Amino acid sequence: MTLSLDWMIPLIPEEIVIIFALAALAVDFAIVRRMNPAVRWRVIGATACAGCVGAMIWIGRATNYGTSEMLALSPLTQFIKLALLGLALVVVVLSLDARFTRHTGEYYALLLLATAGLMLLISSENLLMIFIALEILSVPLYVLTAFDKTREASAEAALKYFLFGSVAAAFTLFGISLLYGMTGELGLGAIAAKLRTQPVEPVCYAALVMTLIGFAFKVAAAPFHFWAPDVYEGAPAPIACFVASASKVASFFVLAKIVIDGFGPIRGGAAWNDFRAGWMPVLAVLAVLSMAGGNIAALAQTSVKRLLAYSAIAHGGYALLAFFGNARQMLPALLFYVITYALTVLGALAVAGAVENSANGDRMAAWAGLGRRAPLLAVCMFIFMLSLAGIPPLAGFFGKFYLFTAAAAGQPHLGMLWLVIVAVGASAISLYYYLQVLKQIYAVPPPAGAMPLRASRAALFPIALLAALVIVFGCAPGWLLGRLSAVLNSSAF
Amino acid sequence: MSAPLTHYLILSALLFCIGFAGAVGRRSAILVLIGIELMLNAANLNFIAFWRYGPHPEALTGVMFVLFSIAIAAAEAAVGLALVIATYRQRRTTRMDQLDTLKG
Amino acid sequence: MNDPLPWLILFLPLLAAVLIALFLQGKPRLSALVSVGAVVVSFILSLDLLAQFLGGAMLSAKFNWLRVGHLTIDFALRFDALSLLMVLIVTGVGAVIHIYSVGYMKGDPGYPRFFGCMSLFTFSMLGVVLSGNFFQMFIFWELVGVCSYLLIGFWHRRPAAADAAKKAFLTNRLGDFGFFTGIILVWSMAGTMDFIRVREEMMRNPELFDAAATGVGLLIFCGAVGKSAQFPLHVWLPDAMEGPTPVSALIHAATMVAAGVYMICRVFFIFNVPALQIIAWIGGLTALMAGLIAVQQDDIKRILAYSTLSQLGYMVMAVGLGEPPAAMFHLGTHAFFKALLFLAAGSVIHGMSHEQDIWKMGRLKERMPLTFWTFLAGALALCGLWPFSGFFSKDAILALACEKSPTLFAVGIFVAFLTTFYMFRLILVVFFNRSKSDAAGHAHESPLIMVVPLFVLAAASIFGGFFGIEQFLAPQFAPAPEAASFFIKAAGFGFAAFAAGAVTAFALYFKAQSDPLPAQMQWTCGLLRHKFYFDEIYAELIDLTQESLAKAANALDFVLKLVIRALHGTAELTGRALRLAQTGNLQTYTLLFAAGIAVVLYFMLLH
Repeated sequence: MTLSLDWMIPLIPEEIVIIFALAALAVDFAIVRRMNPAVRWRVIGATACAGCVGAMIWIGRATNYGTSEMLALSPLTQFIKLALLGLALVVVVLSLDARFTRHTGEYYALLLLATAGLMLLISSENLLMIFIALEILSVPLYVLTAFDKTREASAEAALKYFLFGSVAAAFTLFGISLLYGMTGELGLGAIAAKLRTQPVEPVCYAALVMTLIGFAFKVAAAPFHFWAPDVYEGAPAPIACFVASASKVASFFVLAKIVIDGFGPIRGGAAWNDFRAGWMPVLAVLAVLSMAGGNIAALAQTSVKRLLAYSAIAHGGYALLAFFGNARQMLPALLFYVITYALTVLGALAVAGAVENSANGDRMAAWAGLGRRAPLLAVCMFIFMLSLAGIPPLAGFFGKFYLFTAAAAGQPHLGMLWLVIVAVGASAISLYYYLQVLKQIYAVPPPAGAMPLRASRAALFPIALLAALVIVFGCAPGWLLGRLSAVLNSSAF
Repeated sequence: MSAPLTHYLILSALLFCIGFAGAVGRRSAILVLIGIELMLNAANLNFIAFWRYGPHPEALTGVMFVLFSIAIAAAEAAVGLALVIATYRQRRTTRMDQLDTLKG
Repeated sequence: MNDPLPWLILFLPLLAAVLIALFLQGKPRLSALVSVGAVVVSFILSLDLLAQFLGGAMLSAKFNWLRVGHLTIDFALRFDALSLLMVLIVTGVGAVIHIYSVGYMKGDPGYPRFFGCMSLFTFSMLGVVLSGNFFQMFIFWELVGVCSYLLIGFWHRRPAAADAAKKAFLTNRLGDFGFFTGIILVWSMAGTMDFIRVREEMMRNPELFDAAATGVGLLIFCGAVGKSAQFPLHVWLPDAMEGPTPVSALIHAATMVAAGVYMICRVFFIFNVPALQIIAWIGGLTALMAGLIAVQQDDIKRILAYSTLSQLGYMVMAVGLGEPPAAMFHLGTHAFFKALLFLAAGSVIHGMSHEQDIWKMGRLKERMPLTFWTFLAGALALCGLWPFSGFFSKDAILALACEKSPTLFAVGIFVAFLTTFYMFRLILVVFFNRSKSDAAGHAHESPLIMVVPLFVLAAASIFGGFFGIEQFLAPQFAPAPEAASFFIKAAGFGFAAFAAGAVTAFALYFKAQSDPLPAQMQWTCGLLRHKFYFDEIYAELIDLTQESLAKAANALDFVLKLVIRALHGTAELTGRALRLAQTGNLQTYTLLFAAGIAVVLYFMLLH
């Protein structure tokens, strides 16, 4: 037996991230622990940035693609990983002026470990790998949610997140065990091939439903969404950003992978097709529940972060519409939508974090007169809100447009038109509560004696960049969409 | 020959349901955590049973999965208990029905 | 892309807006100069384009904006008679209003912001007008809505302005919900969004939209209902008068509200007969309702706003009756005289130190003679007196109604009567009757920079009927049959309506100190004064919806609790295995739901 390290090569980006996570810990422990907090955050933050950037550079350069039983490295997965690393990088930068904990090294290490989990999740081709990656992602996130020791809500949110998430994980694991029992396989491709040739047994329903519950939980589709508002509100702002953006993109990608592999419009036996037809209404009901529930609940919110959480549930519902598109449009529509959504909500939550820092809370009243107290933040929030509401020419509009047309045209005889109409209507209603926030920002005068809100450069720069990206992807969606289509075509998906 | 596969499956299903009942019915966060552990173990039992009765017991896939899942369950339990302690320090309680400041 | 001229017309205002937003925030004079300069240059360039067009040149410009899979969207500028006319109106009337604003907005702290928004609006409006496909049009369509939102709420510290802006945005959004759904339908069924290609597809295959044809048409029309403030989404326009007066003139009288009419003219081919009938009736109804409401309003800008609604109703009716050129003709002349009326009203408001109640004005003819004479010219054009421009365009619509539908003709004549009545009421009360407040005594004529634009627009209002707008447009649509007899008949009835309206107004309001009508017709006037209670009804409806949603949520809660109780009861019987009811938090409910799935599926397995 020879000792070879070849097997490590495909995972180099993940390894870079993990090594830098450990480096962040080591630097903190050995060098900067006794320095003043500002320097300490900057040094360790820079280490974390270096990790993300290093991994991005490696991915940008490496072109050795391939698929094994466990992992798939295709242009598509690498592109998604790039996007995720970018989002993580923004979160790292946003955390630079966080002062809620003294455990700087641990904070950044956990953040990078969660990122590594995300990247592994994207590449996984095997249920075992998916489960492990999911846990590598989740466990650091539970801890990070509880990181803000200055607020009681943080620990409570984390405990709820943890318990709810663990139950969902248990369901997923049980579903996986049944799938294994039915097919004797754990690879996604092998399972799909077995399922197509065998008669569909009822237990397959159980297995698939239970497996998918874990992901429905992650993307916060109703009725598995109850954790989301608590976590958005209770978690430290940068972590809420991470959960809302990067974690969501990855979860949707894996959900799509399982659904397309398992239920995709590829030839199958008659029994399988019946099964598939029966599956569509379930997704449609989930989508409608999410859109209606999310939007209606958001109408009544007084905390902007909770409002964004409910709107995130509604957006999850819109994104589910992608699964009704035809094979070629489905993934680009879904990924474009989810990525641009992630950029937008990341920006909006970052603004919420900045407001929260200055006003000790993010109730509507804290936003009063932001237009005068922090004009740049206010303008960025204006852009994010309108993009979430789907107003052209911002990214949110094109994403919705492409998604909805894909869903409308994807089914024969416009079969899913009703769902598209519900979605368009829901997004029209959603403008109401976004405008509510904007009204607070611009029309309501700031409380007497309010100081101008000074956000640090570490917050301002990424927020402004995200706002610019939202405009650019809205005015010229061709680039991102073209990239997505190109990497899709060159990947064996 | 020992008991047929179905018996194991029924056992694991029962275990899963008991664990689930504990997770939703118990008020103490620690007992909820124990319920979740039961659910995970039910799945582990399934893996072993399916592996043992499956067509390829020489492939060891099921056993591998169980080893990983036990390790993950241990990590989860550690994090879970840490979170329970963090909550207890602030609130002096581990009862789920008293942790309700976040709602709406 | 080789000819830069069309792109310059479109992008100059955007450039101005960007410059103002980025560099000119503290420099009011320079920002005004940039904004005015951009729109004036655009106007001159579009005159050049017009000359080229009349010389027979085929103009178009496009580049590929997006090509992914089978989805191809071009960013195209389309120049034909229809869009050229609108470009000229938008830049021409826009330029005049920009110049006027330089004087009107003087001293406002948000001066650069105002001009930035105005330039952005001009850009978006030109975008709507020049769009070659549904997608591009929808983008600019919404952008116009955003600009309108920003400008109505320009004085955002006034709660009324902020609320009006929100109301306008949301109401428009309701219309756009239909428009967007319609566009998705067109795209899914025709496979293209380009106007010309959709039309070709429809020619090739008349059954293209099949049973959905009426539905598609009406969904598209929904967009126009929102933007052009037709019944039942008209409620936002009067409130939009909270914006500065030049904004009311440019956006809520001359251009943006006309975008709805323009849009249905642009996609006229998509409407089938039943859809057109509904469109005609909605137009007629709006004209009638708005005309009636205008009779009992006291705010000078609101009277003009309802009058705008009423005239938009005329235009929509004309499209519904199958004659887009007539609608566009009226749109053009209306842009001149209504912009004039608003600007003159703005001059009055300026002179009265921001008083808008007509009963507090009086004798302004002596104090503001220039404003008076221009206002009178606009009013006569609006009433449709020969030879003012309004006569020709309104006569074209009335003749059309006379030919196609006697009922709508009667409605049209009655609305003409109402128009004359409320305009003369306005003129008598504001300019002739004795003044009732100090402000009226101190009123002063506006500065030159505001008066000159009035004269330019007055000239256009008087002579606008002779330009031959209708003949310019006619070749683009199916040729209309010659119907001279209808024109004469309609003109006769029109003049009778004018005379009747003027006489009634003189009888009631000459030297009146207050409105005599409410005393005589209490019930009717109350109804009109409260605008048929539309706002109240809508508010009630929204409350009701929210209430019923809350009730539904409560009911759901109740059912869930019952379920849990039942489960709990069973559980206690079997030895208190489950203690569900105590947890009482949402997580529990969810887990229950998941458990339900699992148990049912397991049951299936064991069979």
